[in-house]
Amino acid sequence: MLLPLLAFVLQAALGKKSISGNIALTAIIASTIISLFGVFLPIWNETTLLQKWTWFTIGEHSLHIGILLNNLTALMQLIVCIIALPVHIYSRSYMKGDPGIHRYWMYLSLFCFAMLGLTVSLNLLQLYIFWELVGFASYLLIGFWFTKESAVQANKKAFLINRIGDIGFLVGIGLVYANCGTLDLSVLFNPAEALLPSDKNTGWLTFAGLAFFLGAMAKSAQFPLHVWLADAMEGPTSVSSLIHAATMVAAGVFLLCTVFPLFNSTVLLVITLIGTLTALSAAVFALGQYDIKKVLAFSTVSQLGFMMVGVGIGAWDAAMFHLATHAFFKCLLFLCAGAVIHELAHFKAKTQLDIDPQDMRNMGGLRQIMPKTFICMVIASLSLAGFPLTSGYLSKDSIVISAYEWASQLGGVYLLIPILLIVVSLFTAFYIGRLIFKTFFGSFKYHTVFEAGTPFHEAPKAMLIPMFFLAAGSLFPLFGTSLTDYHSAWIIHALETTTTYPALASAHIFIPVILTGGAVLAWFIGWQWYVKEKYPLSANNPLVRFAYKQGYLDEFNDRVFVKGTVGLSRHLYAFDRRVVDGMTTFFAWFVRQLAVVVYWIDKYIVDGLVNLVAGTTYYIGHLVRHVQNGQLQNYLGFALTIVVLGILYLLIK
Amino acid sequence: MITLTHFLVVSACIFCIGLYAVLAKRNAIMILVGIELMINAAILNFVAFGKYDKLNYGGQVFALFAIVLAAAAVAVGLALILNVYRHFKTINPEHIHELKD
Amino acid sequence: MGLLSILIFLPLVATLLILALPASAKAAYKYIALGFTFVQLGLSLYLYGNFNASLGGIQQLDAYQFVEQLAWIRLDLGTIGKLEIDYLVGVDGISLPLIVLSTLVMLMGVGASWNINKSPKGYFALLMILNTAVIGIFSALDFFLFYVFYEVMLLPLYFLIGIWGGERREYAAIKFFIYTLLGSVLMLLVIVGLYFSVINPATGAHTFNMLHMMNPANYVDGSFFAHIANYHDVFGIPARLVGFIVLFFAFAIKVPIVPLHTWLPDAHVEAPTPVSIILAGILLKIGGYGIIRVCYSIFPDIAADTNWWIALIGVLSILYGAFNALAQKDLKRMIAYSSVSHMGFVLLGIASLTAEGVSGAIFQMVSHGFLSAALFFLVGVIYDRVHDRYIYHFRGLASLMPKYTAYVAIAFFASLGLPGFSAFIGEAFVIIGAFNAESMSTGVPRWMAIGGSIGILLSAIYFLWTLQRMFFGQTRLQGGVAWQEALTDLNTREQVILFPVLALALLLGIMPSLIFGNLNASVLQLIDLIKPYL
Repeated sequence: MLLPLLAFVLQAALGKKSISGNIALTAIIASTIISLFGVFLPIWNETTLLQKWTWFTIGEHSLHIGILLNNLTALMQLIVCIIALPVHIYSRSYMKGDPGIHRYWMYLSLFCFAMLGLTVSLNLLQLYIFWELVGFASYLLIGFWFTKESAVQANKKAFLINRIGDIGFLVGIGLVYANCGTLDLSVLFNPAEALLPSDKNTGWLTFAGLAFFLGAMAKSAQFPLHVWLADAMEGPTSVSSLIHAATMVAAGVFLLCTVFPLFNSTVLLVITLIGTLTALSAAVFALGQYDIKKVLAFSTVSQLGFMMVGVGIGAWDAAMFHLATHAFFKCLLFLCAGAVIHELAHFKAKTQLDIDPQDMRNMGGLRQIMPKTFICMVIASLSLAGFPLTSGYLSKDSIVISAYEWASQLGGVYLLIPILLIVVSLFTAFYIGRLIFKTFFGSFKYHTVFEAGTPFHEAPKAMLIPMFFLAAGSLFPLFGTSLTDYHSAWIIHALETTTTYPALASAHIFIPVILTGGAVLAWFIGWQWYVKEKYPLSANNPLVRFAYKQGYLDEFNDRVFVKGTVGLSRHLYAFDRRVVDGMTTFFAWFVRQLAVVVYWIDKYIVDGLVNLVAGTTYYIGHLVRHVQNGQLQNYLGFALTIVVLGILYLLIK
Repeated sequence: MITLTHFLVVSACIFCIGLYAVLAKRNAIMILVGIELMINAAILNFVAFGKYDKLNYGGQVFALFAIVLAAAAVAVGLALILNVYRHFKTINPEHIHELKD
Repeated sequence: MGLLSILIFLPLVATLLILALPASAKAAYKYIALGFTFVQLGLSLYLYGNFNASLGGIQQLDAYQFVEQLAWIRLDLGTIGKLEIDYLVGVDGISLPLIVLSTLVMLMGVGASWNINKSPKGYFALLMILNTAVIGIFSALDFFLFYVFYEVMLLPLYFLIGIWGGERREYAAIKFFIYTLLGSVLMLLVIVGLYFSVINPATGAHTFNMLHMMNPANYVDGSFFAHIANYHDVFGIPARLVGFIVLFFAFAIKVPIVPLHTWLPDAHVEAPTPVSIILAGILLKIGGYGIIRVCYSIFPDIAADTNWWIALIGVLSILYGAFNALAQKDLKRMIAYSSVSHMGFVLLGIASLTAEGVSGAIFQMVSHGFLSAALFFLVGVIYDRVHDRYIYHFRGLASLMPKYTAYVAIAFFASLGLPGFSAFIGEAFVIIGAFNAESMSTGVPRWMAIGGSIGILLSAIYFLWTLQRMFFGQTRLQGGVAWQEALTDLNTREQVILFPVLALALLLGIMPSLIFGNLNASVLQLIDLIKPYL
């Protein structure tokens, strides 16, 4: 864990001289090996390792820093390492030639250090420290191209919104400390110590739970604090894949899992509702995006919503499972997108075309040019959409099924939540299908330029290898032997949580069927819309004519559903931008205006009062200065007058 | 018979003449003379009240003391006036107003 | 002569030396000042290293360390009694970190005044007098001595701002002087009142000894500030409350609290860089130190009664200062207002009356001491180069001055409370302490703690906004090419000054025990002193 820190310090010291990133790479490789063999294998399902050192004493309490290794933390730390490693390798090629590359490696090492520190923290305060440090590293990386105005705006926004969450976290820490007198996780949640009240419905516990959730909401981009994540795509794509898809944004979920025993039913319900809302809204937003990275960003938000639901219904093992699988396939999606963008950016530089390399409307037909990237992307997409044989299938089902079981026990309106989740899953399948079709199928928009001999080829090896590795990780065998039953996945097995609701066997059958069937349908529709529609001209053979006829239906669909959906999603996106984002902007504006008003008051009223007092004193002094005219005899006369007046006063009295 | 009152009245008159001289004269020497008159008025009072202290002659002793002091003060005063004259080429106090702020 | 006295009067020797040297040795002045402050820093670090952390101090003389006691003024005043003023100095866990801070900031101040050309003799002589006064304040245990040092401190500052300052320097200097004097004059009244209320149990005479004032048994029954059986009041307000308020007022002006802060931005903006550094780094801390050492220790009963209001003032200062900082267009003024905001944390922490809060407040004082000094130094760097510090006149400095930007970014993030830096520990523990206050029932409600944490958010907003406006984006400067040439990156001297300070911020952020260790016993002692009255 300390290795990336060492790398950070070394690279900070070396400055511009270290451009290859070898130090960072070595460090992360070593970290991965240690975390796999030195930490994960011995800890997993075996013992809980606890090490602490006294950090400092304040008042009568001592604070310890230390390492807490149990199944949860060991898993999280392994995920971070395993995702960080391919991203490092990928970055070597992706960031090659950037003038600020030494900073890039420095920041990346800092991030890895902070993230690993976060995962193994023993103490809530220590957790908070690393929590903010990852935010800081993310701030640095989003604003990596600091001369770009939008990037600087984005990193500021990201840091500030995260700060809102941090305050929630800090408030939570304060409450826990005030009521339990310790922040040590191993002591706090030790049943033998009985620090937490047995009746969980006390006011402060609700408040503390909501405060922690606020922290997680900002970090894990939950509605309405998700606005920073889409903007955060201004950073390099490799960064987006590591930080804003796989690890940092999942830290919120990790935090909730860590402090899970604190939550009472009220807080859990809030978490579930917010999670569902996030999943739904983000999926709808994703439908209307043209920027390839923004589609993926909203997809991340939506999946994080799923994890939140998992925590909220008490199945945090399922949430962690989804976190693990999501880390693989989402990271892969970003890396593939990055490869496409990378090539398109080169293409743009070569041809001097004024195009946006991230806009999907400028892509298409890349399947023939970049077949390997295409395969990786498809695997990741299938996993995201939850097709059988992929890891996403297992983890997503686990959440939806748990949600259904949870809701069927409570009944009534609660059933809305699993239904909404299913709808979201279908949307997910649809938008990821749209992304694939738009990018890789159809024909390349600048075909003519391309055919003129401009080199445009598959991603380099250094980028492909990490992608293959992650693609392998997105399939089911890594997580469990069974194709269909998520209960046999080893993560679920080890994190076994006790849920209060009974398992429903029927749910295990019909929900996967609905999900898979729906996803297939969604892809099919997507195929029809985005691929077939592109070829209306070669109208002679019967198949295409049939497709052409289908086209009328397409147009109908287009007018009623697509336009409607797209319009709705545009409006919702506009709502997101204008109202939700606008509220942030308005608030910023309001705060600025308030600051101006307060400053005015300060200047004219508070300071004015001060000047008034000084002025009065000065004026009185001015009145009597005439006596001081330098005439000795006048002074004497004045003195005499005063003496005479004094005598007169004495006489009269 | 000459009572204490008579002494006091004379003394008050001398004092007032001295005060007038100090406040109104346009010549520093005259102001000094006025100061002397005021001191003498005080000395007269000392002697007059001295009749109540027949054992120690405190009044007379203080009068002698004050006369000596007055002489010293006049000497200092004249020296000051001389220096003022050298510096300002005048001893009219109206023309010396460097004390003004 | 003990070490502490040497520490106090060493700069005075430097002053004499500087005054004695002929004007032809002009170049030597700064080296003399530098040498002496360096020795001071070494000495204070030696004291810090030899400090026994288990002794509390506060109201027990034998728990103070490096104590020196000499009879200073002894006058028989007949019926009024004997005047007893001692030269009594000593340190405990609360004053020692601040002394080390002072010597460090002084060293920075001398380093920052390298380019002073306007009558350097007077400048460095005054700076050294100020140095003596400051160390004296932090170590004096006799109230009269404390007051003498307190007043001596004002004078050099007045001249330093009034002569070496900016355009409106006279206005700022007078405002500063009058404001502070107002506080200290009222303080004198209370000192005299306390003098007549307290007797030295050993000699039976009235005394100015602060430690005797902290012991309720030493108060004469029926005297003006007596603990028990006190029927005195002023305009219907109990006498002890009045005394507390007056003393609090005196120190609060120094802190400064809202609404008594208006001298601060003016003084900072007009003062030369080194004086700004000293103002922010040391002088504001005297306010906080005074509140702990004088107000809270001598009037623990009132402190326990009024802490709700003091915490409220603290929260108001935090939020109000932060909002104002957000509205500023002048970089230096923005940092001045941020000082108001950060010092609000000190007040909130002290008022929480919990070990966490008070320790956090003292930590915050130390941390803010050198961080604000570093910030003002950084503003000074840019002002030196182009004589402008208007935020909108700069853009994209990062490409032009990468090292400078790196230092600014670190200082900004350290100030806005990024974990790993010292300000975070201070602020976090103030907040935690304020939360804890309700559990300890000291009367500070939790919404104040939340208010304080919103201040942390606001500080992130104004620092990041400034960072974005001035340093990022495409380079665009008000002064065009002339500025572009003038804006050279940091030179070695500047880096030598800045690097240790920011490294210290990092060190204290990672190992807060360096300060908490020596602080702890004293803070617990203070809490114990106040606890019976809660």
